[in-house]
Amino acid sequence: MTMAKKRILVVDDEAGMTRMLRRNLESTGKYEVRTENSGSAAVTAAREFRPDLILLDVMMPGVDGGEVAAQLKEDAALDNIPVVFLTAIVKQEETAPTGTSIGGYEYLAKPVKLEDLVACIEKHIGRT
Amino acid sequence: MNIAATKTAPASAAVPGVPQDRLAAWIEHWRRPAGASAVAVQLGLLLLILLTGGVVYATGGTGYVWVHMMYVPIILASGAFGLRGGLVSAVVGGLVVGPFMPQDVAMGVPQDTANWLFRSLFFLLIGAFSGLLFSWGNRQLERLRATHLALIETHEELKAAQMSLIQNAKLESVGRLAAGVAHEVKNPLAVIQLGVDYLTNTVKGDDGMAETVLDMKDAIERADTVIKGLLDFSRSEQLALAPCDLNALLEETLLLVKHEVTRNHVTVAKDLQEDLPPVELDRNKIKQVFINLFMNAIQAMNSKGGTLGVRTRRQLLATAAVEQSRGRASHFGPGDDIVVVDVEDTGPGIPEEKLDQLFDPFFTTKAIGSGTGLGLPVSRKIIELHGAAIGISNREAKGAAAQIIFKLAERSRS
Repeated sequence: MTMAKKRILVVDDEAGMTRMLRRNLESTGKYEVRTENSGSAAVTAAREFRPDLILLDVMMPGVDGGEVAAQLKEDAALDNIPVVFLTAIVKQEETAPTGTSIGGYEYLAKPVKLEDLVACIEKHIGRT
Repeated sequence: MNIAATKTAPASAAVPGVPQDRLAAWIEHWRRPAGASAVAVQLGLLLLILLTGGVVYATGGTGYVWVHMMYVPIILASGAFGLRGGLVSAVVGGLVVGPFMPQDVAMGVPQDTANWLFRSLFFLLIGAFSGLLFSWGNRQLERLRATHLALIETHEELKAAQMSLIQNAKLESVGRLAAGVAHEVKNPLAVIQLGVDYLTNTVKGDDGMAETVLDMKDAIERADTVIKGLLDFSRSEQLALAPCDLNALLEETLLLVKHEVTRNHVTVAKDLQEDLPPVELDRNKIKQVFINLFMNAIQAMNSKGGTLGVRTRRQLLATAAVEQSRGRASHFGPGDDIVVVDVEDTGPGIPEEKLDQLFDPFFTTKAIGSGTGLGLPVSRKIIELHGAAIGISNREAKGAAAQIIFKLAERSRS
């Protein structure tokens, strides 16, 4: 192994979505992926998994994406992990092809194409 | 739509909405003679009075019953000219069958002065009474007519307000639905999108599979387009207003659809008025409206070629009423300084019965799958946010025409 795979934590309440994201990201061969299906599990998972980037759904029952991001910010060990939001409530035009910053965070609109997703990830944590 | 519709003033005689038969029309004509017809009626009445006098004379003088025929012209006169008509005709009538009535008529019945004066007084009473009665009747009729007109106007306003309420309620419920639908549909769509992306990378080498995956990708894109349209529609739009050169914006937008123009063999005919004053608007949103109108026009010509006409001009709104489609009241008034943008095509036009539905969400005349039915509703919403108006009508020549009018802000006026 020439280079360690980048770790990505995927949080979305829809299991199908996290499965698809895992399958796609792992198929690129560049990433190691851990998935969580609730906001409440996300912060604990981040502490254990130490991801290089977190893909976070905005609208989730219970603890939503915004709260997860806020909790991450409060934790000195986690506050520098880049967070990219995936959301169904904005349009592609409102996010540039590689994501747009709203309130300091990157947003990608669902449905997101794999190439756009990878481009956005690479923008943050570089090519592997 | 009828942006330049002239409101016709209600005719003075007929009350709109009240059917007029021939007798009513005749009475109406007689009731209020004016100008030349007043003179004609006066002459006619004088003739009738003289004729009555003649009959009285021929039938043996004032002692007989024929003298009462004089009431007829007196009542007719008071009908036409009110109290004045009644009194004047009574005096004339009294004189005609009064002192000038020859005493030596056949079977002559003599009359003394007191006799004809008394009769004249009687005529005057009849004239005054019927004159007052007619005047009172006329005033009642006028008031009734005014009330009726006001009622019709109120009714029209109510109808327009109701239409606009229904429309707003409709749009609001669509808007509320949109956000929910967007979330509920985009999530599963996202799963499918990523699934298709995954399959694209794994089924390489199998033509049938690759084609299937491609079709699925297209379908996802189409579904996403509808959802995007819904979101556009449901957003409470904040406008970023800035003075803008409409001609430049139109040129810029035409460049964006250039590919479609060429592909569909369409010729663009521009007639843009120079020195157009800047209009306060949100460039991106108005650009979206122009794109919608251009694409509709191009698609209407259905790749058979044609002309896309784009015109701008500044003018003063001359007519009393600016009616948007569905008769909504708008805040345009005569004398308003406006800029008009016309977008015309030479396609088949729009069936008359469908003109009313063009701005309804999800109404489309395009083939299934090629239109979302949201382009025009979104466009209208944007236009209304600008305090502008949009309407679509058929051209007299072949094709359809969209017209947008922007009101110039005070400070844009020179």
